[in-house]
Amino acid sequence: MSKIGVFICHCGENISATVDCARVAQAAAEMEGVAYATDYKYMCSEPGQQLIRQAIREHNLDGVVVGSCSPRMHEPTFRRACAEAGLNPYLCEIANLREHCSWVHEKGEATTQKAIDIVQGLVEKVRRNQPLTPIRVPVTKKALVIGGGIAGIQAALDIANCGHRVILVEKEPSIGGHMAQLSETFPTLDCSQCILTPRMVEVAQHPNITLYTYAEVESVEGFIGNFKATIRLKAKSVDEKKCTGCGLCTTKCPNKKIPGEFNEGLGTRTAIYVPFPQAVPNKPVIDKEHCNYYQKGKCRVCEKFCPTGAITFDQPDQFITEEVGAIVVTTGFRVLPTSFFPEYGYGRYKDVITGIQFERLASASGPTMGEIRRPSDGTVPKKVVFIACCGSRDPAKGIPYCSKICCMYTAKHAMLYQHKVHDGESTVFYMDIRAGGKNYEEFVRRAIEEDKVNYVRGRVARVYERADGKLVVRGVDTLLGAQQVEIEADMVVLATAGVANPGAEELAQKLHISYDPYHFFAEAHPKLRPVETNTAGIYLAGACQAPKDIPETVATASGAAAKVVSLLSQDDLVREPLVAVVNRCAPPVYSTCVGCFLCQTACPYQAIEREEIKDRQGRVIKTVAKVNPGLCQGCGTCVSFCRSKAIDIQGYSNEQMYAEVNALLNHE
Amino acid sequence: MDENKAAFEPRIIAFVCNWCTYAGADLTGTSRIKYATNVEIVRFPCTGRIDFMLLLKAFAAGADGIIVSGCHPNDCHYTSGNFHARRRWIVFRGLLDFLGIDVRRIHYYWVSAAEGAKWAEVVNQTVAEIRELGPYTEYKKVANYIEETEAAHE
Amino acid sequence: MNNWNKQIADMLADGTVALVIGYEEGSTPQKTRPLFCHDAVAAERLVMDGRCTHNLAVYLTKKELLPAEGRIGVVATVNVLKSALQLMQENQIPEGRFLLMAVGPEGKLTELPDAESLRQYIAAHPLPDNPEVAALIEKIDAMSREERWAYWQECLSKCVKCYACRAACPLCYCTRCIVEDNRPQWILPWASTLPNIEWQINRVMHMAGRCTGCGACYAACPLHLPIHLLTKKLTQEINREFGTERPAKGNVLSTFSPDDKENFIH
Repeated sequence: MSKIGVFICHCGENISATVDCARVAQAAAEMEGVAYATDYKYMCSEPGQQLIRQAIREHNLDGVVVGSCSPRMHEPTFRRACAEAGLNPYLCEIANLREHCSWVHEKGEATTQKAIDIVQGLVEKVRRNQPLTPIRVPVTKKALVIGGGIAGIQAALDIANCGHRVILVEKEPSIGGHMAQLSETFPTLDCSQCILTPRMVEVAQHPNITLYTYAEVESVEGFIGNFKATIRLKAKSVDEKKCTGCGLCTTKCPNKKIPGEFNEGLGTRTAIYVPFPQAVPNKPVIDKEHCNYYQKGKCRVCEKFCPTGAITFDQPDQFITEEVGAIVVTTGFRVLPTSFFPEYGYGRYKDVITGIQFERLASASGPTMGEIRRPSDGTVPKKVVFIACCGSRDPAKGIPYCSKICCMYTAKHAMLYQHKVHDGESTVFYMDIRAGGKNYEEFVRRAIEEDKVNYVRGRVARVYERADGKLVVRGVDTLLGAQQVEIEADMVVLATAGVANPGAEELAQKLHISYDPYHFFAEAHPKLRPVETNTAGIYLAGACQAPKDIPETVATASGAAAKVVSLLSQDDLVREPLVAVVNRCAPPVYSTCVGCFLCQTACPYQAIEREEIKDRQGRVIKTVAKVNPGLCQGCGTCVSFCRSKAIDIQGYSNEQMYAEVNALLNHE
Repeated sequence: MDENKAAFEPRIIAFVCNWCTYAGADLTGTSRIKYATNVEIVRFPCTGRIDFMLLLKAFAAGADGIIVSGCHPNDCHYTSGNFHARRRWIVFRGLLDFLGIDVRRIHYYWVSAAEGAKWAEVVNQTVAEIRELGPYTEYKKVANYIEETEAAHE
Repeated sequence: MNNWNKQIADMLADGTVALVIGYEEGSTPQKTRPLFCHDAVAAERLVMDGRCTHNLAVYLTKKELLPAEGRIGVVATVNVLKSALQLMQENQIPEGRFLLMAVGPEGKLTELPDAESLRQYIAAHPLPDNPEVAALIEKIDAMSREERWAYWQECLSKCVKCYACRAACPLCYCTRCIVEDNRPQWILPWASTLPNIEWQINRVMHMAGRCTGCGACYAACPLHLPIHLLTKKLTQEINREFGTERPAKGNVLSTFSPDDKENFIH
């Protein structure tokens, strides 16, 4: 026989003005299982809480119902009061007599009766409540950051500066990402490398950061606070300990005509190479696909010239395992190549380039040392046409979204071009100019007004080569009544859409995080949890979520780092015990779960695992579902799906909910 | 209970999720918007948790109508609980209708935490419609085992 | 003796399989009944023709009927294969434990060793829809709601809760059924109209996206209650709402599409 205490609050007059609180308490006293019931003016006040604590002790109460305001308001208060009196806080339930009753109904018999019903429902529920203890999950105080672009660099540094160890994994031979490729950055036009490279060096030298370049995450197991990541260290064919980074090998390598990734194909590199002069680490790797020795079996020139004997042709890929408590995914994006656009030359015309290629042309460290020279013949283009929204905002191209950064970088490109080629003419075809951001609109105005960039509002239908070899851009000017315009161009720059990296889907599946139809990773909540994923302990930053500019990328990176740091600053993770549990019962059944595992797809958090029940000899008797309490968020979808009712959820169990529903309808 | 239609006060149980509709109904309260007293709210963590059996049990226990309400699509606190619930209700509703159970008595809504006024409308509209339909006597009749047995003996 | 009987006798004799489950002549010429062959001699009694309607897949999850070791052969109809495939997807049949076999029109025995071969065989041998079932469903659909309620109430009030429908269904394999759960007592244990209806609603909802439409539930019902119409109707609804393709992982009700359409949530 349970001994429930019922405490009806008047909330000043907020409840008692329309509900006869004394009658509710009286009716509660008559309910089955209720040992004590009373009403009081302010139950949440200290004397009110004292009243509850005292009643718990005096009447040995084993459950409490407080009829007051919404549980969303004072449930923690009353549960704490119960705990102080030695009652498990989860044996306290709140009957919402204010928001759901007194405030929404007129004074009268029906309102008081409804209050009694609500109390009755919760009395029946609380009679079936179980004492619960918060779940504690140990935390490994180390983070894994996947992707060494500016987002990864920022996140790694922020976490490391808080005193936690960080593993930073980058798939290319150097960290730096797209930002290292950029010339100047909008809206201040400061040099990208000048602001980035010091941070790259800081990463390499930070005592708390372990950097793995030319490495990829192979698999991830575990859950928040307790991940185990296997990382593939791709063979660099260069012993990093012996290599001094002198660079002799790269000058001697006979294979010199390989289109360089860092220069977006506008420059060349050797087979043994450092991606760019400021690379971190500044040590070369051998690109096996282009190396004469790996492809044809002879050469070994680099080995011959290496003064320290660092070349190791037979080095295998290595696999290492790292235990981490949190993961930040910062794998970035890529831009569509020109070949995606048949109407703009389909990659046929050498002088139709992408925005990122233009960055390399404008960069002092680029293939032209910062001079704008067109790829076909190396001459300085006198007329350049920039086309915005190439692919973006075009459902026909499968990219209905706005790539966000192009308006700004196109303005920057046109501006840089005008700064470098004083007698040049630049034209920008655009749909809308989206320049929301600090000093962004001013920047675009400057391009138009001071640098005399010709902005034409309209789409470009075609780029074609005239008989004389000149490129012609045909579009419309919608501000001139959709008049067709044709502009000659020496060079055309396409602001091609920012899209997800090719491996994004595969990585998302390895990490069990969700992604959108465009393969960008999905936030747990687009507004309120913008750097978290649905998998607890895995965070996102930068352009792997959607195209982002540098300030936004850095902001999300620091945001994600703050989330990681707050997680790693705890020894144990304490979580509400309102989670799903798979039942256990006596042999020979062991659990009424039959192991169909159809519930696994019902869980938004991948919290349902397989568990083998074994006998003393270690033989598997049965394989059943197991809910990982570290991952379960307590939605209960699996509970209503389970046919045999083998899964139940603590705090909202089948027995509790059934009793509450029945009790609400109990009276005549 | 008086089965006279004019005096008929329907009993309605609302199955709502904690994050959207429960909070929305709290907002109705803080906004002091008045509505009918006929609806009793049961709080669930998520619409995904609402077992179809609980709906049947509410009818068996004497409910004349049911409200099921949660977060709008894409707004679920748990990302997809409401999507799972929606599928469940599509299938369940079809089956109940085929069995001749009065599906007009189960009202489904999306009510967000910001829609306090909508909650009041939802309640009033449901109460009005169920009042029009009258008590769910045919279900109550089969729910009452003893009466049913006696009727069989007569 | 048919060639395929000989083949199965050989498999039993050389130990390829420890047991073969199939059909033999029943007590009347119109019927066949399940047969468990433990030796080559018994294999001679195996038959396979249009009279074989029991869904043998129901035995595949009954550990107490099966030898602890060795492979088990099943001479299966397409309905048995469909249920077996579903059981595989639900993790109920250990890989390699069963050797499913189909007998072709010329008595050709086809071995279907894995899920993929089952899928292909089932796709190549579609079962015709039963026009009588479809007509009955249409008839009930055409009734007014009150008539439907009266029809099912009258029909299910006769149910004696023998649970033969459950026992005959290969996919009702829970070790503890919801009707045996008494915390809470979801469904009252005695036979009375409401608990009978509730039991059928549960049975049918639990079959959502799983039912293979073999009709074993109806065949087993001693009162010939048309409960298979419920599962059939449910399958029709699911096919209409979510398409005939079933999710590769999970179930119709444990998966979703953000684009699922309905017209009743406001």
